[in-house]
Amino acid sequence: MSFDAGRRRSLSVSLLGLVLGAGIWEYVGRHTQKSSFASFSATVSALWHMTASGELPRALRSSLELFAAGLGIAIVIGFLLGLVMARIEIVRTGLEPYVAMLYATPMVALIPAILAMFGFEFRAKLIVVVMFGIWPVLINTLEGARSVNPELIEVAKSYRSKELQLWGHVIIPYTLPFTMTGVRQSIARCLIGMIASEFLLSANGLGNLILIYTQRFDTAHVLAAVLSITLLATLLMGIGRGLENYFARWKVGV
Amino acid sequence: MSAVPQSAPLVRPFVLNPGVRKLAIRIGTGILLLALWEGLVTWLAPSYVARPSGVARVLPRVVSSAEFRSDAKVTVVSVFEGLGIGVVLGVVVGLTMGRLRDVDALLRFYVSSFFAMPLIALVPVMTLWFGYTGTVRLVIVSFGAFLPVCLNVYDGTRKLPAQYVEVADSYHARWWNVWFGIALPASLPYLLAGFRLAAGRALVAAVIAEYLVSLKGLGYFILYDSRTFHQNEAAVAVIALALLGVAINSAAGFATRRLLPWYRPS
Repeated sequence: MSFDAGRRRSLSVSLLGLVLGAGIWEYVGRHTQKSSFASFSATVSALWHMTASGELPRALRSSLELFAAGLGIAIVIGFLLGLVMARIEIVRTGLEPYVAMLYATPMVALIPAILAMFGFEFRAKLIVVVMFGIWPVLINTLEGARSVNPELIEVAKSYRSKELQLWGHVIIPYTLPFTMTGVRQSIARCLIGMIASEFLLSANGLGNLILIYTQRFDTAHVLAAVLSITLLATLLMGIGRGLENYFARWKVGV
Repeated sequence: MSAVPQSAPLVRPFVLNPGVRKLAIRIGTGILLLALWEGLVTWLAPSYVARPSGVARVLPRVVSSAEFRSDAKVTVVSVFEGLGIGVVLGVVVGLTMGRLRDVDALLRFYVSSFFAMPLIALVPVMTLWFGYTGTVRLVIVSFGAFLPVCLNVYDGTRKLPAQYVEVADSYHARWWNVWFGIALPASLPYLLAGFRLAAGRALVAAVIAEYLVSLKGLGYFILYDSRTFHQNEAAVAVIALALLGVAINSAAGFATRRLLPWYRPS
């Protein structure tokens, strides 16, 4: 079997898998009660209906605003803190165990406390998303900036680079590929934070769509919302992977 | 300037043992962070918000209460149950996908889509399927644990050096020898990395399920106590969850060093 034939075969099996999946979904949906599961066709028509009425685009926009703001802040803080921890030994030694602990903590457990302190409006939700997303960027940046080849730093120093120039010309370019691995992981975590905060704090966006249609036992609309979240997540993860690959081109060694 | 030759100092400068220094810095930072938390909350937040002194005050009472203990037990047991189911299924499916191209082509789309999406979005609709029962938590925790393990074992199996399989083939190895004797051990480092991810996802899934389905457990303990203005008590449960996360993570790290001394993460 030539390489091409192998590819063609996996492509057709993949397509078969998609058709089979949609078929099973349709069959199960038609043979269960509407209040527990909806068929593929009903879900697609609900998706179309929600898009045409403007309900889905509005929810999408509100969710994406929260996601983008949270991810942006998480990246900035995580990146800077990671660099500072990498360069200043005493800060690194002091904070490392606490960062590891917070990374292992299920951040959803903090949502009730955030609710108590910051209310349930956008600000509180933003804090939740940032708390979810900050750790992978921080840890990967720290690891990257720590692994800068000491010879590079020595050369820069022997040319009398100031600490800031050292950051700009050596450390940050070296670290960015590592940071991007963290960004990809943060995208996934921020999505979880986005949905969790929409479920538990003020209900807006895609999370709210799921909640209200579940309360109405309207599974077609619930599944349509879940489907659009899945599509959004796949798209965002694709972007994350693209960024990671783009920056990996100048990753040294490995 | 005249060059006065520097004489050796008569008293050896005081140098802290590096281990002691590290510990001192860490404890110092911990105290600083706690003081910051205490100060900020006292200064800015309402009196019912959790603070270290309050948490320390209620800690003995909460930890010794039967309610907290049984809630903690329920959550821990369901997380480990779900992890067990997820890891076993993840290994089986990941190995199959890694070894059989057609299964790979058939399932890859589904596994990677579910892996990318926030699974907790499925919790509300699961309450329609399973009712407001512990089944929702078990299913979402197992599924959440399954995906990273499956993808990582798949990755590990795909990266199996072709020579290993060629040698095995030339000795007439049966397929199960290749799968369980070669592919699975070779993908163990990936499996353990997947297990770490799985543990994190399992904890988040369990807590979210307890929040939304009102299931007995540490998550619900947190929600209930926060709503009744017992923030300090809730913080004890948050700390318990954090410790659980750290414990599972360290266990996985320990297992990696112990079982795979040959493995050096790149």
